[in-house]
Amino acid sequence: MSRPFLGFGLGLRTEYYQHVIDHKPQVDWFEIISENYMVPGGKPLANLDKIRADYPMVMHGVSMSIGSVDPLNLDYLTKLKQLIARVEPHWISDHLCWTTVNHINSHDLLPLPYNEATIDHIVDRIKQVQDILGRQMLIENLSSYVTYNNSEMPEWQFVNEIAKRADCYILLDINNIFVSANNHHFDPHDYVNGIDSERVMQFHLAGHSYNGDMIIDTHDHDVCDPVWDLYGYALKRFGAVSTMIERDDNIPSFAELRQELTIAETIAAQTLSPKQLDISDNVVLKGVA
Amino acid sequence: MTKLDELQHHFLHYLLGQASDIERHIESTPVLSAAGRLNIYANGYKLRLKEAITTDYEKLHGYLGDEQFDSVMERYIEKYPSHQTNLRYYSVNMPQLLQDETPFNSLPVLAELATIEQAFANSFDAKDVALVTIEDLAALAPEAWATLQFTFQKSVQILSLNYNSFPIWKALAAEETPPDVEQADQSNSWIVWRQADLISHYRPLATEEAAVIELAMQGKTFADICEKLLDFFDEQQTPIKAIGFLQSWIQEEMLAGFDYE
Repeated sequence: MSRPFLGFGLGLRTEYYQHVIDHKPQVDWFEIISENYMVPGGKPLANLDKIRADYPMVMHGVSMSIGSVDPLNLDYLTKLKQLIARVEPHWISDHLCWTTVNHINSHDLLPLPYNEATIDHIVDRIKQVQDILGRQMLIENLSSYVTYNNSEMPEWQFVNEIAKRADCYILLDINNIFVSANNHHFDPHDYVNGIDSERVMQFHLAGHSYNGDMIIDTHDHDVCDPVWDLYGYALKRFGAVSTMIERDDNIPSFAELRQELTIAETIAAQTLSPKQLDISDNVVLKGVA
Repeated sequence: MTKLDELQHHFLHYLLGQASDIERHIESTPVLSAAGRLNIYANGYKLRLKEAITTDYEKLHGYLGDEQFDSVMERYIEKYPSHQTNLRYYSVNMPQLLQDETPFNSLPVLAELATIEQAFANSFDAKDVALVTIEDLAALAPEAWATLQFTFQKSVQILSLNYNSFPIWKALAAEETPPDVEQADQSNSWIVWRQADLISHYRPLATEEAAVIELAMQGKTFADICEKLLDFFDEQQTPIKAIGFLQSWIQEEMLAGFDYE
């Protein structure tokens, strides 16, 4: 299918609820962190419902632990499915990582060894998740700080193989490519060039912090110029891809973050034709047979 | 055990500060050793959990100061690895830790402050329910009253405290100097709940109301409530008092339902 395009979005954070509800700022869509709304009721869900009434949404999770050797957490998936029914998102995503083992949650996005055995393990689990949820999902590439010595392939090949065999899509985090390229000494353009275009459904953009020679994915700064350059490069390769900025710390005013999103809009307008940037209507990824 | 199994268990043991040989599975580079690379994850693990605890126990943090609060967090993280998918629920055992562990339990007001903060958090995102109105009760047949039982909405919580922890909490919330700790002559009860405007409320409970609201929340009948009130009031006052409490629970949006035989 041709790639649906939602336009340019932002991560919905509690600091922005009131501004968004009161002013209905021009943003094409919002991405929510799914777990923040896996609560019984109250303000989080009330605000979510109000904002959803006015904006398209996608759901982004941090706790599926798709790469874990623990059994899939069916209680979590049940709650996720309930939230999907409430939000009716255009799509849902989580990370190509593991977070939990022995039922202990690290609350971190921990990296996987890039080899055939891991691919087999994860493909099987994504298929199960897509069956349970009744829809295709997106998997996101990580920022990482270690390489396992039993990794056998570049990360982009690992991501491609999983997306192809599980028949899922890729949420390509441009900042994470930049961070991991620095930390593992590869060319970020090789990563972008290596990713299967037809599997890419969404981009993430974010800021990061330096810790000596390493870069840490902190989401606490503006998007830096080299990441904007890589974003432009990715747009040339993939065409229009729904794009959003994640900000999780050192949160700026909504107006400042919205202003930062105009940089993405400007780069896209300079790179692609207006027709390519037409926003798609009624996008929902297909159910799983 | 598969290789992936082994890697993940060793990685987790490393994060938990336990014996682990994860380092030999990680490549070192001229820029940074395997140990240095892993250390980024160890730092991130603690930082993330401490951030969650700090969000949940802001007043306790203010009361203890940075250094002592950090030692509470260190002990919590050591004792309670997370079994939650949602960080919102990570620190639910904090009152228990402060009650069980020395030196924290030498100052019982700490566990009570944590209990108060947890009650507000629970009230904040408790399940939304339809509320009972005065008209609902007015429509009841007279014979229903004897067996009438009540359901309170999920955000309603009764706290029984032995110290002046609520005045201390209130001072901390107002960023004022908290009063000195005082042990109460008898346990003092407070109620915390959320109204339909999604704002959490609290107030102290008089001894008589505390006695009967606990019975009502346990599912005892209106007749049981009246009988209990006879401990405090004479036969003439009791039904008036019982109705008065019931009206205030309804007006304050605490009641979610009722049932009768």
